[in-house]
Amino acid sequence: MSGTKFVYVTYIRTTREKLWEALTKPEFTTRYWAGTSQKSDWKVGSSWGAYTPDGRLWDTGEILAADYPSKLVLTWRNEHFPEMKAEGFTRLTYELEPFEDAIKLTLTHEIEVENSKIIGAVGQGWPAVLASLKSLLETGSPLIATTKWPEGL
Amino acid sequence: MSTKFVYVTYIRTTPQKLWDALTKPEFIKQYWFNMTQECDWKVGASWKMLFSDGRIADGGEVLEIDPPRRLVLRWHNEFRPELKAEGDSRCVYDLEQDGDVMKLTITHSSERDNAKLIEAVSGGWPRILSSLKSLLETGKPMPLSHQAPKT
Repeated sequence: MSGTKFVYVTYIRTTREKLWEALTKPEFTTRYWAGTSQKSDWKVGSSWGAYTPDGRLWDTGEILAADYPSKLVLTWRNEHFPEMKAEGFTRLTYELEPFEDAIKLTLTHEIEVENSKIIGAVGQGWPAVLASLKSLLETGSPLIATTKWPEGL
Repeated sequence: MSTKFVYVTYIRTTPQKLWDALTKPEFIKQYWFNMTQECDWKVGASWKMLFSDGRIADGGEVLEIDPPRRLVLRWHNEFRPELKAEGDSRCVYDLEQDGDVMKLTITHSSERDNAKLIEAVSGGWPRILSSLKSLLETGKPMPLSHQAPKT
């Protein structure tokens, strides 16, 4: 197998419907995902974009599968860093499964490029974003550090 | 070559509370499959993980300890023959303060290629650490933490 893959599993005390909303709706994502918003109608074949708080298009892609509320797959390319953009489209899969009284969220972010820079970068970022998402859904408050866009970017 | 599992999470708590939750039996059993650990938490001390019925699940030794920042354990499985046969693994806990949260990094590794022990713990750590985070942030662990892994 060639390529680079990042996999992260977390368990969140919530419902699949709420988790799906939290992963896709700006009123949630702006609170735990560095102030960013995603725009898409979340239908297969539709375009997808992630925007910085000041409105710059940061990542783009297309919806490959949207099986509400259990699986969402999209392509994802960074538009800001030339060396990451040059790697092309990554593939991001969210799987939401009921597990006892919680939801098991499995995130897989991958590309068919060895030692990928974009997967290296998102692999550093995902644990903080998903930890903050879990805090938001379980306590009503996200983790402060994840509520703002990084200074200077 | 080797096998390694790394998991990072961020928990809204203090260094001391996180350290206590990782080392004190009364905390551990609340979020860790109803299991507990026995150790006097000094370098060279023996370390054991026990099922609620007293059977030993895993054993090992404290290799490094620097409260509330770092803990390194030698760790071998005792209850599944195919995992026990692999011998020792190494588990490192790194705790770092990051603003008002703690960054916890677990690095569990074996010098063997495709180690089954590391594959097994890779499924367990996300459950344990998700439950630990819920316990420290909401006062309640996740109910799934009370189900022991299948033998």
